[in-house]
Amino acid sequence: MKVLLRLTPYIKQHIWAFSFGLFGLLGARIFEALIPLYVKMGIDNIMAAQSANETGDILSPESIAIAQTTLVYPALAICACVVAQMVVTIISRILIRRIGIYAAFDIRNQLYGHMQRQGPAFFAKFSIGDLMARAINDVSLIRQFLAGTTRLTSVLVFTAVVGLGFMFSLSAQLALIVILPLPVISVVAWIYSKHIYKQSHIVQEGFSRLSTFVQENLNGIRTVQAMAQEQDEVRRFGMVNDEFAQHNQTLFITNSALSAWMPILAATATLIILGYGSHLVTTGEITLGTFAAFFSYLALLLWPVREAGAMVTQWQRGASGTQRVFEVLDYEPEIRDYASEDSANPEFPELTGKVSVRHLYYQYVDKNKYALEDINFDVEPGETIAILGRVGSGKSTLLRLFVRLIDPVKGDILLDGHPINGFPLDFLRHQVCLVLQDPFLFADSLGDNIAYDRPDRDVSDIWESADAAALRETIENFPEGLQTILGERGVTLSGGQKQRTALARGLVRMTPLLILDDCFSAVDTETEEHILSGLKSVRQNLTTLLVSHRVSTARHADRIIVLDEGKIVEMGSHQALLESNGFYADLEKAQRVKGGMLDQIESDEAKI
Amino acid sequence: MNATQKKLDHSIFDADIHGQAMNFQYLKRIMAWVKPHALLVCTSILLVVLASLLAVFLPVIITRVAIDTIILDTPDALMPDFGMNSVNEWLMHLTGFEGIVTVCILYGVTTIACHGLYHLHRVTFAKTVLFALRDMRLDLFSHMEHRPSSFYDKVAVGRVMTRITNDVQALFELLMGVGMLIGEFVPFFLALALMLTIDVELTGYLLLSIPIFGVITYFFRLATRKVYRQIRNTVSQLNQNLQENLSGMQVVQLSNREERNLQVYSDINEKNSKQEVHAIQLETGYGAFMDNMVNLALAVIIWVGGSAVLSDAITLGSVILFTQFIDMFIRPIRVLGMQYNILFRAMASAERIFQALDWHEQIREPKTPVRLPGRVKGKLEFKNLTFGYDDNQPVLKDVSFNVKPGEKLAIVGPTGSGKSTLIRLLGRFYDFSDDRIFLDGHDLNSIHSTEVRRRIGVVMQDFHIFSGSILENIVLGNQSITRAAAISAAKSVNAHEFIEALPDGYDTELVERGQNLSQGQRQLLAFARVLASDPEILILDEATASIDTETEQLIQEALEHLMQGRTSILIAHRLQTIETADRVLVLKDGKVKELGTHQELMALRGVYYTLTQLQFQDVSS
Repeated sequence: MKVLLRLTPYIKQHIWAFSFGLFGLLGARIFEALIPLYVKMGIDNIMAAQSANETGDILSPESIAIAQTTLVYPALAICACVVAQMVVTIISRILIRRIGIYAAFDIRNQLYGHMQRQGPAFFAKFSIGDLMARAINDVSLIRQFLAGTTRLTSVLVFTAVVGLGFMFSLSAQLALIVILPLPVISVVAWIYSKHIYKQSHIVQEGFSRLSTFVQENLNGIRTVQAMAQEQDEVRRFGMVNDEFAQHNQTLFITNSALSAWMPILAATATLIILGYGSHLVTTGEITLGTFAAFFSYLALLLWPVREAGAMVTQWQRGASGTQRVFEVLDYEPEIRDYASEDSANPEFPELTGKVSVRHLYYQYVDKNKYALEDINFDVEPGETIAILGRVGSGKSTLLRLFVRLIDPVKGDILLDGHPINGFPLDFLRHQVCLVLQDPFLFADSLGDNIAYDRPDRDVSDIWESADAAALRETIENFPEGLQTILGERGVTLSGGQKQRTALARGLVRMTPLLILDDCFSAVDTETEEHILSGLKSVRQNLTTLLVSHRVSTARHADRIIVLDEGKIVEMGSHQALLESNGFYADLEKAQRVKGGMLDQIESDEAKI
Repeated sequence: MNATQKKLDHSIFDADIHGQAMNFQYLKRIMAWVKPHALLVCTSILLVVLASLLAVFLPVIITRVAIDTIILDTPDALMPDFGMNSVNEWLMHLTGFEGIVTVCILYGVTTIACHGLYHLHRVTFAKTVLFALRDMRLDLFSHMEHRPSSFYDKVAVGRVMTRITNDVQALFELLMGVGMLIGEFVPFFLALALMLTIDVELTGYLLLSIPIFGVITYFFRLATRKVYRQIRNTVSQLNQNLQENLSGMQVVQLSNREERNLQVYSDINEKNSKQEVHAIQLETGYGAFMDNMVNLALAVIIWVGGSAVLSDAITLGSVILFTQFIDMFIRPIRVLGMQYNILFRAMASAERIFQALDWHEQIREPKTPVRLPGRVKGKLEFKNLTFGYDDNQPVLKDVSFNVKPGEKLAIVGPTGSGKSTLIRLLGRFYDFSDDRIFLDGHDLNSIHSTEVRRRIGVVMQDFHIFSGSILENIVLGNQSITRAAAISAAKSVNAHEFIEALPDGYDTELVERGQNLSQGQRQLLAFARVLASDPEILILDEATASIDTETEQLIQEALEHLMQGRTSILIAHRLQTIETADRVLVLKDGKVKELGTHQELMALRGVYYTLTQLQFQDVSS
């Protein structure tokens, strides 16, 4: 509950609208509570005229008309109250509900900006689905809390206060007894709403189980059909489906029971008015109008009494939503942008691509072994270096350190002699480009995907990089060329085409240092050859690091660094390493004989 | 490959159905699922009528009996009391209590009975709706489960999924809404009838308000429809943007796109906020207006009714009775206004559901299927098979070859040569001409597809791993496979060792797509799955992804075990795999280029020879 206090800044921004809104809601309650008063006045006026009637036997039409005029005032007053209440309610509701919308707007933007500054540890802790849920459902819980719960709570409080006030001012005697059953109603409502909350949670879970089942089943429909398991899947779905219906039924029964109990319990208060009130009427202590007005005020009061419990749940929901959102917002980014945080913010010239790695260590949080251990090497500007190693040898970890997706435990990476964490983060990432193994493309046009870092790039630059990534033919095959939209609503590229697009996205930037993380795995060997041999001329005097576990890729580099279990085991040119007959030579032999991929045959066949 | 790369056809299963307010055709079709529960529905409606009758009596007891008769002592015989006064007198006579006591008893008992009946009505109605939609959802699921691959090539899985989940859920809201309307309109008509018997003129004034409400509601709906659609639009844009940005976060950060992306997001966010504000302005105005109409009606009753009392046209009790009925009178109109939105959404959902149910595309099954013996020999013959996904684009051209029982055949060929298509046809996933493929001399099309798939086990490249335990993934719902059989299958394909090393062994839960397993382990698991189902013919589309050398060795061993005593067709990507085969078939551009043993093809010095030669030269140069 305390966490709700963190929402105060969002209210404070609109403190005037909020106060006005609350004040208006109070006003509206008063206008509303005046209405039964005028109904009472009308009834009492009729009674007075009737008793006059009894004494004077038959009323002349004139005196009826006079008596009728006494009804004009209460009728008009009711109309006035209704209109006033309506106008005030509309204005104040809009004022308050808008604050919820504005807060949701701010929080969404904050979350978005905050998540963009996060690194792998954050995304390991929060899955994308989880973050989506927080940004969508929990933000809307906050919105509901600010727009609905605060308003409803104040309305309930005002209604209760005003209703009770009027009741007591009419007849304290009757009011005291009438309110006796009200706490019982509150407690019953509260107990039920807890049950309902729990059960609706179960129903929600059931629904998501249902959705997950369907989603998985449909994703694997070919497997299901290939194994001829359709009937069995239908049977299993039937169970999940049935369970969902059962849970739903339980929820509805509870819900309906609450709806039944409320009026029954409220009837006790009605009975009190009926029994004790009628006694007071006969003894002349209250008028018949007061008697009738009590029914109206009771109806007014029942609403906050009934909702009191649900209100508690709503506050809890608001609190849990707030807590989940701030859990994300409070997460400190693991990669700190020291240079930008520093007010001095030094300027750096364009880098040359000279790399020095000094005693570099990296360890994953959940592991008790170094992923990288005492890595040292130097790269001269313009060199192409291949990093080779088996799965899990630490290649990708090493590359991620260069762009500060992660920070080392010990040691330094120096670019042009400066340690990289001395650069502002955006400067570093302007100078060093990493192309990831998994070619993530956006549901945007091909051209925008290639020029992702700067959408205003020249088309000629885009085509140049497309050429270098052997992508021209693919693009030209689409009728819309660079404007072809990718993704669900557009074309789906093959794995190789995706990798080449991601490659073009890296190449177009012409950064002093380009790092390719095994981004040829889905590209056939011939095309890979073609790209790699072209790379040298495209990136003249620019440094390139490329990772692979294929010898055929590595041998294109000037030098090869062989990593194994986080350590550098060999370093040198292709020829030199073959001659030294070590790890690299073994790997080459193994790949030649055993794992020779027939893709290579296929592509070479195309040449024939 | 070809099929999955095909552009999804969105016109067939369109997500952008906006629906219309009412389509009785759909309601009629929905009734097919409600019909089996007809008795329950009738009971439910009977209950609501009874409950509403009692609900109408409640204010009568207060006004006519308590106020007019007991407190004021003016029982006016001309005004209706629906026998309530007599009931009360009978109670007084029976118990010997005073009138005020018995009227309290009467009121209490009626209240309990009334709301008890309402409760039963709601429960029975909800039960009907829940059962009907449960059955509908099951039918829909079953229907989708039997659509062929050619259907799933064209339609995104997400589209089908929302029909089964969300769209059926929307119908739930619709039907519950119908129930709610019944629950509101029964007391409305009863109240109306009573009010007419009391005072026609006064009732007439109140009835006048209905068209006013109707018109206002109509315009409100008109205005909000547009805004709601806009909001739905921007919300889905927001979610899409967020999802995409999160998925591609590393690329975003590495491209220094953070600020630009935030700006794009913020722009949509702002647009959404403006629409939301617009919507709440409309909603608040409408809601407040409708809420206060009840009170305006009160003014009318005081004025018109009060005057009538003065001229002795009606009793004061009747006027108070009117003020009590007013809520019953106005509520259904408000409920109707609230339900309108749901109705609208539900109609669009109904359209989507029936569109799916009416999609009857399926694999052609033989009228009199051939019954295969307990075990087939596994002889396969292909005779001049030509096939294309589109009629004018053949993927396989005049393919003919035979596979002897127990033979191992490797198929080699470049991407797009038709290898994958060939195995899809063998699994009867697509329709093709008769008398082209024969299993033990029977035309494949004369055998039921389920039967074919039971005999021919396919290990696909993108085999699917379901969330569930390892064991469940091996057994895959086939209840004839015991735990022991599954474990022995896993042992045979070298999967036992890594499975036992997992925290809960065979009961280890796998996340969807088996992301907690390595590529090689997934392959072994797929082997275990196919071995456990013990097909006579094995088809394997070898995974291309790189696997470490040790696992590679395990896979090769497993494969040999798997192929033992089975006719096997391997789509091979590795030389080593080819070498385990008896014969090799070279496929290119959908045509058979060469067929023979490794030695024969080498001796032939044709395409295959050149390929292998190039391979070795290439690497060692």
